[in-house]
Amino acid sequence: MIFTIFCVRHYEYDVGIDIFLSTYRFLYDSAMDYQIISINQKGENFMLLPKFEFYEPTSIQQAIELKKKYQGKAKLLAGGTDLLVHLKKKLITTDHIISLSKIKDLSQIKEERDFIEIGACVTMSQLSKSKVIQEKFSALKEGGDNLGNHLIRNRATIGGNVCGASPAADTLPALLVYQTQVLLQGPDGRRKVAIESFFKGPGKTIIKDDEILTGFELPIPQKNCGAHYIQLGKRKSSEINVVNVASFIEINPGNKTIKNCRIALGAVAATPIRSFFAEDALKNKTADETAFYEAGEVARRKDCKPIDDFRGTAEYRRAMIGVLTKRTLETAYKQAMAQ
Amino acid sequence: MKRIINLTINKIIYEHAVEVNTTLADFLRYELGLTGTKKGCDTGDCGACTVILDGDTVNSCLVLAVQADGAVIETIEGLSNEDGLHPLQQAFVEKGAIQCGFCSPGVIMSSKNLLDKNDNPSNQEIREGLSGNLCRCTGYTKIFEAVSSQCSDNKGGSHGKI
Ligand SMILES: Cc1cc2nc3c(=O)[nH]c(=O)nc-3n(C[C@H](O)[C@H](O)[C@H](O)COP(=O)(O)OP(=O)(O)OC[C@H]3O[C@@H](n4cnc5c(N)ncnc54)[C@H](O)[C@@H]3O)c2cc1C
Ligand code: FES
Ligand code: FES
Repeated sequence: MIFTIFCVRHYEYDVGIDIFLSTYRFLYDSAMDYQIISINQKGENFMLLPKFEFYEPTSIQQAIELKKKYQGKAKLLAGGTDLLVHLKKKLITTDHIISLSKIKDLSQIKEERDFIEIGACVTMSQLSKSKVIQEKFSALKEGGDNLGNHLIRNRATIGGNVCGASPAADTLPALLVYQTQVLLQGPDGRRKVAIESFFKGPGKTIIKDDEILTGFELPIPQKNCGAHYIQLGKRKSSEINVVNVASFIEINPGNKTIKNCRIALGAVAATPIRSFFAEDALKNKTADETAFYEAGEVARRKDCKPIDDFRGTAEYRRAMIGVLTKRTLETAYKQAMAQ
Repeated sequence: MKRIINLTINKIIYEHAVEVNTTLADFLRYELGLTGTKKGCDTGDCGACTVILDGDTVNSCLVLAVQADGAVIETIEGLSNEDGLHPLQQAFVEKGAIQCGFCSPGVIMSSKNLLDKNDNPSNQEIREGLSGNLCRCTGYTKIFEAVSSQCSDNKGGSHGKI
């Protein structure tokens, strides 16, 4: 016997189902076959996941074969914090889901002599606990630590954050300033792409239908380098950034001039962007407050192209880019000097 | 498409056939009748569905039941035993940290995981540890008091500090 319980989805009703189920517990205890169908006011099935076939490959090769077979009809599942939400909200649909969580290689952080490789399925919590990330890639740790909340961070992966390609995503500015190479693998082999050329627009990347993002390669910063990330949101957790900025700086220790510098801005264009004018303005300058303030001004005036939306006006975003660029540079500089 | 999954929930081993598109939250509630785990939003925003999966808290509405194959899961039903409520649950009752109670199972699972990992978290750590759990009623102060009273420094004291 199958019971079907229809409910219009409201908080009260979900509690209502509990009461209903406990009242009729004697019935469904003997017949565990029942289903609950939530419908919205239009009578559409609401918040349920569509029907799909589910695969759990244990190697990258197997995953690519599945991707090759089903192409755009299959979606890859990493932490699911974006994918499952989008499927539930009916923003996307899919016939096949390929889970990456059984591929051990994808959830490792490997340290080589002059670079590290971060697997695509490394979670934010993993990043935060990793010693090499804490010591050498602090801006990336700060990005991961600011993503969502601790529940989300236990699931959300770095590959999913990058493939989601949100202009406001938390790990992207840091990945940009650390000169990250994106590692892609498909039926025709591997390729490496600089992260600057990976994004095409909100939610859009250059990844092909039969490709998988396997990880990221980040050169280990040398001595006299520092980096910092700041995000600005309406509250401290579980929000989408109004703007976010990461800066990386390399100092000539002798005369304290800026040897190298990279700045990345989020939520001020269709993709996260490098702030090239501001970077140029800093090259070979003496590292001091005036230089950092001016770099912020250049980033504000020349590099960012924000829009108005309900999170903030373009004008406010510009102003904040100026402030955050200066602040991230100052902290990055202090870190570089402390080494 | 159904799959057989094996998992341990509150120390009991289950073997169950589930549809692959069933979330862990729906599996717990509607297949096993463990309705202590709540669903507020179903999209990862509220934390009402918090359970502990292999030692870490997750939003069970964003995990597929098939992904929990082989996992060890703790839900709110596993806390109390024949001797009565878990000390953390008792603290929630005593401090008045429960009003409508809809968020409480999730909040308590997050607090338990926090205290399991660190028996003396700072106020800041408690706030961070609970940042994924929304409460519409209490204004959080009483919740902090309840969790704080269970920190090793404050146990035995009559009032948890805020
Ligand atoms: C409550 C809540 C709060 C959030 N807060 C933030 C926040 O503050 N900052 C932020 O940046 N994001 C936030 N997010 C969004 C999301 O959690 C992150 O973007 C997360 O990093 C996505 O990773 P995932 O592993 O869950 O991705 P999934 O949902 O598994 O996948 C996302 C997309 O990427 C694709 N994909 C995943 N892995 C690969 C791969 N290896 N190769 C190719 N394609 C792949 C998937 O097919 C899918 O299209 C939030 C989400 C929720 C629900
Ligand atoms: S129901 Fe899972 S987070 Fe709200
Ligand atoms: S007690 Fe009502 S939502 Fe927290």
